[in-house]
Amino acid sequence: MSAQQKTSILILDDEPIVSKRLKPSLEKQGYEVETFTVSAEALKRTNERSFDIVITDLKMEGLDGMEFLTAVKEKSPATEIIVITGFATMETAKESFQKGVFDFLAKPFKIGEISAVISKAEQKIRQTL
Amino acid sequence: MKKIIKNIIELLPRKRAMTAAVPFSVLFSKFQDILTINNNVLEMIAEVNDKLGGNYIFDRHYIETTCQRISDQVLKLIHDLNTIAPNKYMALHDTYRRIVAEIEKDLAGRPYCHFGPFTVAYNAINRNSSESVGGKNASIAEIHNFLALRIPDGFAVTGAAFHAFLAKNNLQENIDGILGAWRDEKVSLEDATKKIRKLILNSKLPNKLEKELTRSLGQLSGSDKHKPVLFAVRSSAWGEDGERSFAGQYKTILNVPAAELANAYRQVVASAYSETALMYRQKIGFHEDEVTMAVACQVMVAAVASGVLYTLDPQHGHGGAMQLSATWGLGAPVVSGQVSGDRFTIDRTSPHHVKEMQLVRKKSALNPIAGGGTALNPVAIDRQTQACLNNDQIKQIAATGLLIEKYFKKPQDIEFAIDRQGQVIVLQSRPLNIDQTDAPKAPELAKLLRQYPVLFRDQGEIAQAGVATGQVYMFSEDSKLRDVPAGAILVTRFASPLLAKVMAKVSAILTDIGSPTGHLATIAREFRVPCIVNTGNATELLHPGQEITVDAEANIVYQGLVNELCLYELSEEAIEETSEYRLLRRVLKNIAPLNLLDPAEKSFTPVACRTLHDITRFVHEKAVEELIDRNYYQQHDPKTTSGKLRLNIPLDLVLIDIDGGLRSGSRKGEVMPEAILSVPMLALLKGLSHPLAWDNEPMSVDMRSFMSSLTRTFSTELASPKYVGQNLAVISKEYANVSLRLGYHFTMIDSYVTDNINDNYAYFRFFGGVTDETRRCRRAEFLGRVLARHDFRVELHDDLVVARIKKMDKEGMLQRLQVLGWLVGFTRQLDVKMLSEQHINLYIDKFNKLMEVNI
Repeated sequence: MSAQQKTSILILDDEPIVSKRLKPSLEKQGYEVETFTVSAEALKRTNERSFDIVITDLKMEGLDGMEFLTAVKEKSPATEIIVITGFATMETAKESFQKGVFDFLAKPFKIGEISAVISKAEQKIRQTL
Repeated sequence: MKKIIKNIIELLPRKRAMTAAVPFSVLFSKFQDILTINNNVLEMIAEVNDKLGGNYIFDRHYIETTCQRISDQVLKLIHDLNTIAPNKYMALHDTYRRIVAEIEKDLAGRPYCHFGPFTVAYNAINRNSSESVGGKNASIAEIHNFLALRIPDGFAVTGAAFHAFLAKNNLQENIDGILGAWRDEKVSLEDATKKIRKLILNSKLPNKLEKELTRSLGQLSGSDKHKPVLFAVRSSAWGEDGERSFAGQYKTILNVPAAELANAYRQVVASAYSETALMYRQKIGFHEDEVTMAVACQVMVAAVASGVLYTLDPQHGHGGAMQLSATWGLGAPVVSGQVSGDRFTIDRTSPHHVKEMQLVRKKSALNPIAGGGTALNPVAIDRQTQACLNNDQIKQIAATGLLIEKYFKKPQDIEFAIDRQGQVIVLQSRPLNIDQTDAPKAPELAKLLRQYPVLFRDQGEIAQAGVATGQVYMFSEDSKLRDVPAGAILVTRFASPLLAKVMAKVSAILTDIGSPTGHLATIAREFRVPCIVNTGNATELLHPGQEITVDAEANIVYQGLVNELCLYELSEEAIEETSEYRLLRRVLKNIAPLNLLDPAEKSFTPVACRTLHDITRFVHEKAVEELIDRNYYQQHDPKTTSGKLRLNIPLDLVLIDIDGGLRSGSRKGEVMPEAILSVPMLALLKGLSHPLAWDNEPMSVDMRSFMSSLTRTFSTELASPKYVGQNLAVISKEYANVSLRLGYHFTMIDSYVTDNINDNYAYFRFFGGVTDETRRCRRAEFLGRVLARHDFRVELHDDLVVARIKKMDKEGMLQRLQVLGWLVGFTRQLDVKMLSEQHINLYIDKFNKLMEVNI
C-alpha cells in the first residue's frame, strides 16, 4: 500500500442503516468503502481482494460475525478488524480480542467514535508497513 | 417486545402480596427498588432522546431492545408498588398493557393511516402526523407551526377518512376486482380508470366525515357566515412527497365553494386511480393496497401572482442558484407547464441577487370566479410584459425557500402565491429530487475538502448533525436577538435556551460551553439546525463576518463557503427521513412525554397515564405516599419509629427510623430536631433549617409566570396538609433517603456516611417545575453548576439534574450534604425567578456568598 493509496474498508452489518450512514461519512473522509448486508457475500468479496480494515457486526443470519472475522484474519492477517455489536457482553469482547480484533464498539455509537477508531487502526497499518 | 406481553401473563397470578404485618425493612427495600428503577427509567429516556440528534448510528435492534428495557423496568415498578400497597393499583396493569400494545404496533410497522379523526385543523398538525394527514398536509402545517411562515388557513381530511369512505361503499373490493381484470388484460387501462372513477364519484361520504367537514369549516379562523369561503382541494397521499415522488400524479381543484367540498373530495380521491397514477405505481412497484389518499382543504388565496420555486438548481453555478417561475393570477398554468411564466435565476446566498431574468408576454391569467371555479382572463396590455414579481418579493420568496429547505434538509419545490397585500403565502412544499449525477460524489468531495483550511475539528460535541455555510455572527450577553441576521452561523459562549427564538433563522450554532443533552440541544434538534456545543473556544477562533462551513457530521469547521458540501448533504437522504429515525421518534411518543403533573389533581390516576414516563411518575409519587400512610398515619412496624419533624420551615417532613436514626423514647407522632441521630440527616437538616436557605426576598413580579402557575393550580400552599405533606425521610444512624415534592419539582437524596471513606456516597436528583421549560432548564443549569463546584459529578438532561459524589471523607460528605440541604430551600420556586440567562449567574453568586459565610 503506497502512501497515496486510499485505505480500503469493508463494512458488514445485516441492518442496512449502518452501512447507509457510515459509507458516505467515511468516503467523505477519503476512505474507499465497500458495504455488505449478507455475510456470505462479504466473505466472497474478501476472497477476491483484501481490505485494510474490516468493520463487522457479530450477530447475523447464516455465517456470523465471529466466523467471518476468523476467516478474514486467516486469509489476510494484516487486515485490522473492528467489531460493532448491539449485543456487547464481556464474553464476546474477550473472544473478539483473543481473535486479534483491533477494537470493539457497542452499538449505538457516534460517527466520531468510530472515525477515531478507524484512524487509529490506519495509523497502526501504516506503522507496520 | 413480544416477550413483554408474555411477561405480564406470567406474572399475573401474582404471589399474594405482602400484608400489613410485613416488616418495614422489607417494604423499604421495595421502596428503594422503586427509587432505583425510577432513576434508571428517567436516565434511559434521556439517553434515547439524545439519539435523535443525528450524531449516533443506531439500528432497529437498538430501538427494539431499548423499548424492551424501558418497558421491563416500568413493569417492575408496577409490581413493586402493588407489593407495597397490596393490589391497590392493579389498574396500572391495564394502562401499561395499553401503552405497550401501542409501542408494539409501532414496532410492527402499523399503517397509521387507518386510525384517528377524519379531519384535522392545520394548527393541530405536527411532523408526527404525516402518516395520518399525508406528506403535503404535514409539511405545509409544519411550515407554519414551526417556521411561522404564512400559509392559507385550512384542514386535512385524513387517511382514516379515506379508508372509512372506501369501507362504507365497499370500494376496495370493487376496485381490486377492476384492477385485477386490468392486470389480466381483460380490461383496458382507460376503461379500468373510468369504471373506478365512476364508482368513487357515485359513492357516499360516511356520516361522520360529513359532520367533521362541517365542523372544520366552522372552525376556520375568520370564517364569516356572510362571506362564502372557497377552497383549493389538493391531494396529500401517503408516500406522495416522500422517497418516491408522485408529483403531478394527482388532482388539485381550485376555488371550490364549501357546498361542493364533498364532490371535490371524491374527485381528488378518484385521481388516485388515474391512468398515469396506476401506470406509475405499477412501474415503481407501489402496492395498490398501500394507497391512502388524504386530502388538503386550503382556503383560496386571492393571488395577484403565483408561481413555483426550486430552491436548488444544480446545473447553475455549482448549486449556488435557485430557479423561480411565476405568472399573474393563479399559478396552475405555470405549475402544469401549460404556459411559460417569467423566469428568474436567483443567488442562493443572501441578499439573493437576481442573476438572470427571462420575462415572457403573459397574455392571459387564471383567476377565480366569484361563485366557484376558475377562468382564463386576458391581461391588460401594459401588464403583459411587466415582471409579475418585484425585487423585494423575489428576495422574500428566496429567503422563505431557504428557510424551508434548511428545515426539511432537502432542496424544495415550493408553490407560492402573492396576495393582495404583497405578502408571500406558501401553498405547498415538497422535496425536490435533484439528479444524483449533478451532486458531488463523496470520494471527490474528500479531495475537494482538502483544499479548504480546517479552522478546528473534533472540538466539542455534536448536538444536531448537519452541514451549513454562512457568516459568523458573534452573540454575546449584550446582543439583541432581533439583530441576528437570517442565515448566519451563530457563535456564542453559552448554550443559552434563549436562542430558541432565533433557531428558525440561523444556519448553524456553535457554542464554547454547553451540553449535547441540554435544552438548547433539544431545541436545535427540534428545528434540525446543525449545532456543535462545548467547543471550548469557538468564540476566540472565529471572528464576526467570517465565512465558514460547519460540518456537524464530521465535526469540522472549514474556512470559506464549501457549497459542494452543502449540495452533497442535500442530495443525501437526511437522517431524519430514515425509517429507523422515524420509528424511534414514533415509539418515543408513548414513552417519553410527561403528562401527569399535579398529584393533587383528580386526574392523577392510573387511567390517566399516557406514557411509560407517566406511569413511572405515578408509581414514584404513590410509593412515597404509601410509605407515609402505612407507617405514620396507620399502625406501623414496632421496630420502626416515625413522626413528623417539628421544625419551623415551610416543609412538612415525615421521618421513619429503621435503625438508630432517632433517640429512643421519642414522642409518638412527632420528632424534635434534637432527637435525630442520623448522621447524614443531621447534615442535610443543618442546611435545610437555616432561615436564609428559604431565601425570603420578595418574588419578582412577573405576571406571565404567576398566571401560568395559577392556571396550573399551583396549590402547595393551599391544599390540605395531607397532600402537602408527602415528604419523606427514611433514616438510620448512617443513612438517609429523602423524597421531597415541593410544588412541581421532585428532589431525591440518598446518602450513606460512615468513617469508612469507601462506603460513603450521596446521590441527588432533581426534576420538574411549574414554569415554562426554559426557566426550568435555567434552574437545572444553576443546580448543575453549583453542584459541580462542590465536587459532584453532574449530569443534566433538560430539567433533570442527577448529581453523585462518593468516596469522600466523613467531614467532606457532611459539608456536601449541608449544601444539598441549602439547595432544597433555595431552589424552591427559583425557576419562577429565572427571567434571563443572567439570572443563572446572579443566583450562583448569591448562593456562593451564602455558602462562604455560612458553611
